[in-house]
Amino acid sequence: MTEDSQRNFRSVYYEKVGFRGVEEKKSLEILLKDDRLDIEKLCTFSQRFPLPSMYRALVWKVLLGILPPHHESHAQVMMYRKEQYSDVLHALKVIRFVSEATPQAEVYLRMYQLESGKLPRSPSFLLEPEDEVFLAIAKAMEEMVEDTVDCYWIIRCFVNQLKNKHRDALPQLPKAFEQYLNLEDSRLLGHLKTCSAVSRLPYDLWFNRCFAGCLPESSLQRVWDKVVSGSCKILVFVAVEILLTFKIKVMALNSAEKITQFLENNWATFIA
Amino acid sequence: VLTASPNVRSLPLPCIMCHINFSERLILYIIELFPTWVGMDFPCLCLSVVLARDWPSSVFDCIDSYLRFLTFLAFYRWKRLETHDVVIECAKISLDPSEASYEDGYSVSHQLSARFPHRSADVTASPYVDTQNSYGSATSTPYSSSRLTLNTPGQLPQTLSSPSTRLLTEPPQATLWSPSMVCGMTTPPTSPGNVPADLSHPYSKVFGTAAGGKGTPLGTPATSPPPAPLYHSDDISLPLATATAPRKVSASHLRSCPSTLPSNRGSVTLSDLPGFLGDLASEEDSIEKDREEAAICKELSEITTAEAEPVAPRGGFDSPFYRDSLLGSQRKTHSAASGAQVASTNPEPLHSSLDKLGPDTPKQAFTPIDLPCGGAHESPAGDRDRQTSLETNILTPSPCKIPPQRGVGFGSGQPPPYDHLFEVALPKTAHHFVSKKTTELLKKAKGNTEEDYMPSTSPVEILDRLIQQGADAHGKELSRLSLPSKSVDWTHFGGSPPSDEIRTLRDQLLLLHNQLLYERFKRQQHALRNRRLLRKVIHAAALEEHNAAMKDQLKLQEKDIQIWKVSLQKEQARYSQLQEQRDSVVTQLHSQIRQLQHDREEFYNQSQELQTKLEDCRNMIAELRVELKKASSKVCHTELQLSQVSQKLSNSESVQQQMEFLNRQLLVLGEVNELYLEQLQSKHSDSSKEVEMMKAAYRKELEKNRNHVLQQNQRLDTSQKRILELESHLAKKDHLLLEQKKYLEDVKLQARGQLQAAESRYEAQKRITQAFELEILDLYGRLEKDGLLKKLEEEKTEAAEAAEERLDCCNDGCSDSTVGHNEEASGHNGETKTPRPGGTRGSGGSRGGGGGSSSSSSERSTPEKPPTQRAGPFSSRWENPMGEPSPSIPATVGSLPSSKSFLGMKARELFRNKSESQCDEDGVTISSLSETLKTELGKDSGVEAKAPLTLDGPRTSPPNPDSVGQLRIMDYNEAHHEHS
Repeated sequence: MTEDSQRNFRSVYYEKVGFRGVEEKKSLEILLKDDRLDIEKLCTFSQRFPLPSMYRALVWKVLLGILPPHHESHAQVMMYRKEQYSDVLHALKVIRFVSEATPQAEVYLRMYQLESGKLPRSPSFLLEPEDEVFLAIAKAMEEMVEDTVDCYWIIRCFVNQLKNKHRDALPQLPKAFEQYLNLEDSRLLGHLKTCSAVSRLPYDLWFNRCFAGCLPESSLQRVWDKVVSGSCKILVFVAVEILLTFKIKVMALNSAEKITQFLENNWATFIA
Repeated sequence: VLTASPNVRSLPLPCIMCHINFSERLILYIIELFPTWVGMDFPCLCLSVVLARDWPSSVFDCIDSYLRFLTFLAFYRWKRLETHDVVIECAKISLDPSEASYEDGYSVSHQLSARFPHRSADVTASPYVDTQNSYGSATSTPYSSSRLTLNTPGQLPQTLSSPSTRLLTEPPQATLWSPSMVCGMTTPPTSPGNVPADLSHPYSKVFGTAAGGKGTPLGTPATSPPPAPLYHSDDISLPLATATAPRKVSASHLRSCPSTLPSNRGSVTLSDLPGFLGDLASEEDSIEKDREEAAICKELSEITTAEAEPVAPRGGFDSPFYRDSLLGSQRKTHSAASGAQVASTNPEPLHSSLDKLGPDTPKQAFTPIDLPCGGAHESPAGDRDRQTSLETNILTPSPCKIPPQRGVGFGSGQPPPYDHLFEVALPKTAHHFVSKKTTELLKKAKGNTEEDYMPSTSPVEILDRLIQQGADAHGKELSRLSLPSKSVDWTHFGGSPPSDEIRTLRDQLLLLHNQLLYERFKRQQHALRNRRLLRKVIHAAALEEHNAAMKDQLKLQEKDIQIWKVSLQKEQARYSQLQEQRDSVVTQLHSQIRQLQHDREEFYNQSQELQTKLEDCRNMIAELRVELKKASSKVCHTELQLSQVSQKLSNSESVQQQMEFLNRQLLVLGEVNELYLEQLQSKHSDSSKEVEMMKAAYRKELEKNRNHVLQQNQRLDTSQKRILELESHLAKKDHLLLEQKKYLEDVKLQARGQLQAAESRYEAQKRITQAFELEILDLYGRLEKDGLLKKLEEEKTEAAEAAEERLDCCNDGCSDSTVGHNEEASGHNGETKTPRPGGTRGSGGSRGGGGGSSSSSSERSTPEKPPTQRAGPFSSRWENPMGEPSPSIPATVGSLPSSKSFLGMKARELFRNKSESQCDEDGVTISSLSETLKTELGKDSGVEAKAPLTLDGPRTSPPNPDSVGQLRIMDYNEAHHEHS
């Protein structure tokens, strides 16, 4: 308590007035000070509060398992990661799969493919849907994380997490979406159903890509905080909220194609 | 008038001039000069005006311009003069007669008084008159008259008349306007250059008249002896050469001045004189001339370097002027000789002999001391010079020399250069003067033009003439000596005394004048010298004073030095004292230091002892501590024992209670027993003993039990305590264990994290190597394809047979590789195909071997692409031989002992990863192999399992790596082997 009182005497008032999260950074720092990082606490923290941007990369790396919970081994592990990254990149360059002109996202993709053993024979092969997803996430992540090594690893682990941890949960999301939408606004759902647009909603964009390339970066970061911390239901809520936000617009549209098109392309511009 | 100017005299000018600067001095001087030069008529007025500074404009202008011109003129002159010279100058020009005459004995008043009479009738030149006046002789009128008479009896009265008139007219004019006449021109000149002019001035007239009188009628060439002029010229040329600037200026003024005489004469006289005389002298004996020059130089040097000498030795032989006087006497003698010669030549030509004898004549009062040498020397050279001088004499008649005289007089003096300035300064008088002069000149020019041509008589010539006159006088004297005969005649005749005597007298007079002039010159020289000496004296006095001062200073310094020495000694003594003190102090300090060191050592020893004591104490303390610990442990022990004892006590208390209880019971039982005994006694009297026995047994038993209970209780307590202790220990250990576990987990986790990273890296490396292998195989495949294509072209014809043979071989399953590949192929295809030429599947094999499961999986996941892609490098290259079965390929493939080859082994090992020892069995059927492979591949990757290859026959058939490997890839195989 003494430490808390020393931290900021205004914190109590902040909370009383309704400003939550003023002390988040401090508490997160306290969390990160532990020698062995408590990953569960970090998960709960990141689910409850938006992460401060300066600690986001670190927390993500810890949560995604790129860094071990022990501070001591961080440097070594990070060195391994870096070397692995450079090795893979070098290999790709040697076999002329990537060059200097290759976009960074594609480089990440090729690296991921190589590491997962799915490297095609030629870079000119068509991309598969999962590769597209990867690319979208990589592009979004590229904006958020500066360091290429960190970026690659976060993307890689993020995608792996989606593939492994949420593999079972992701297909369930559209149903959950419908359910929650029904709870929130049944009329809208009804409208969608009448338009037979429910099944044609951009689920891939929403749930597989986790809104990558759909939401602006700042908001996407907050959404992904939750996803990284292990909850993929946030995606459903975000999707529902989007629909509710553009309810009037969506209600105005009658055909499924239009709704899909609107939701896929235009609404982001509306936000902007 | 002049003496009536008190203002001027009241001015202590010289005194002032010593203290004021140059310009002021000049101004004062000019102011003083002003009345003397300009305003002779109104000096008081001028001066009062000047001093009152209340000047009318016209006067002011005059003054102003005059001052200007004077300053302009006198600048150089005054600047070069020294202080005492200036003083003397001032004295000379001063209006105060006493002051002015202190040097030369002239007084302006005298001059003036002499001049004014001259104005009316005096024919002679003013200087001459002045000299007469200065000598205090009688009025000049008799002389002039005599001179006039002298002139008139001359052979040329006509010619004389004109000069006389000229002389009459000119001097008054000069006195009228020229301040120079007043202030210094007539007086002996300041500079030596003026001297000859002054000298020439009077004598030339006389001489001129005399010469004119004599030369013209006689026409004899022996009138003037040339040597004398030569010598004089030498004498004069020296001062001329060293002439001061003012003189030159005056000469130039003379030339430029139009109002004065024809300038050519003046210029000739002064400037060309040396040249002219030099021409004459060139014929002269050079040795003599040199000697003269040397003598003169010597004299001059002696004059300059001479010690201060009083005025006394003027004529003395020991004086530095002795030579001068000697020379002068020589000149005199010369002149006398020449005069004698002339005289002799003139009346009697015999006097040549007399000329030589002349010096010997004792009658000559003025004859010098050593005359003969000069005369002897000059006589031989005289003949030639005589002619030249005669010529000049002929050319220059004596009367004509008067204007030059005047010119020389003007030229040597200051007035001529001022003439043109007078016009500015005093317009009226200047105009008057100019007009007068012009008329006079006109007259002169009309009167005798010849005279104008006359070359100007130089002072030397004048002296020459003087000498000549002297000679004349001498001659006459001589003639007078021989006069007895004549006197006889004369007495005989009883007439008036002969004119010769008068002439001789006059000549004597002239000679005396000459001598007088000479004396004056000498005096002037003396004055000059005196001035220099005075200067030197002043310098010497100053130097002496300086010297004295220096000496005083020296003394003072010596005193200082002595003082310093004394102080130095004192200081040294003090220093030595101090040093001694210091030494003593040092020794004291040394002894102190020794003492202190000794003390220190003692202290050190003490401290060591104390330290040892301290250590002992420490040891004791340690022992005591140990004892204390022991004691404390004992205390603990005793406490424990105490507690135990207390427990025991409590136990015993409880036991006592029990005992009491039991005692009560016992009492009760005893009572009961008594009752029962009574009953028994009453009933069974026999059983009393038994009862008693029983009772005793009971009691014993009771006691035993009691003890036992006590023991049991104690044991229970101890055991309970023990249990408690053990339980606590257990809990601690459990906790520790838990901690250990936690830590272990932590470490495990940490290690696992690192390990995971390393593993992932390893995996990545594996993938990378796989990718590399794939790439390398690809490249080799391409190479191989090229080679095969070539071979194909060669052996197309044998393709069919080879294919058949290959089929047989395959069916037999003789070769592992083909079998393996066929198995794989069949596995992929999901059907047992008749094994086509296995060689065609080399590429596939290589791919399968190198790329492993990943490549195959990727292929299968993208089934559409491989045909296109792989058709490029592999299938296309292998399909061709299949389409047209070439004999070469089967041969190569079939001949391979694939099981032994590296590639075969490689493939086997690869497959062994999935199913071990599958490939070792050679004789396994294709189908079984394919099945097993299929299962392995399915295990390898789930994706792989799902998609059986839908490749074409030749391509789907697993590649025969043997062929490829055996063909080229030995290195690769080794590497690969290691890798897998």
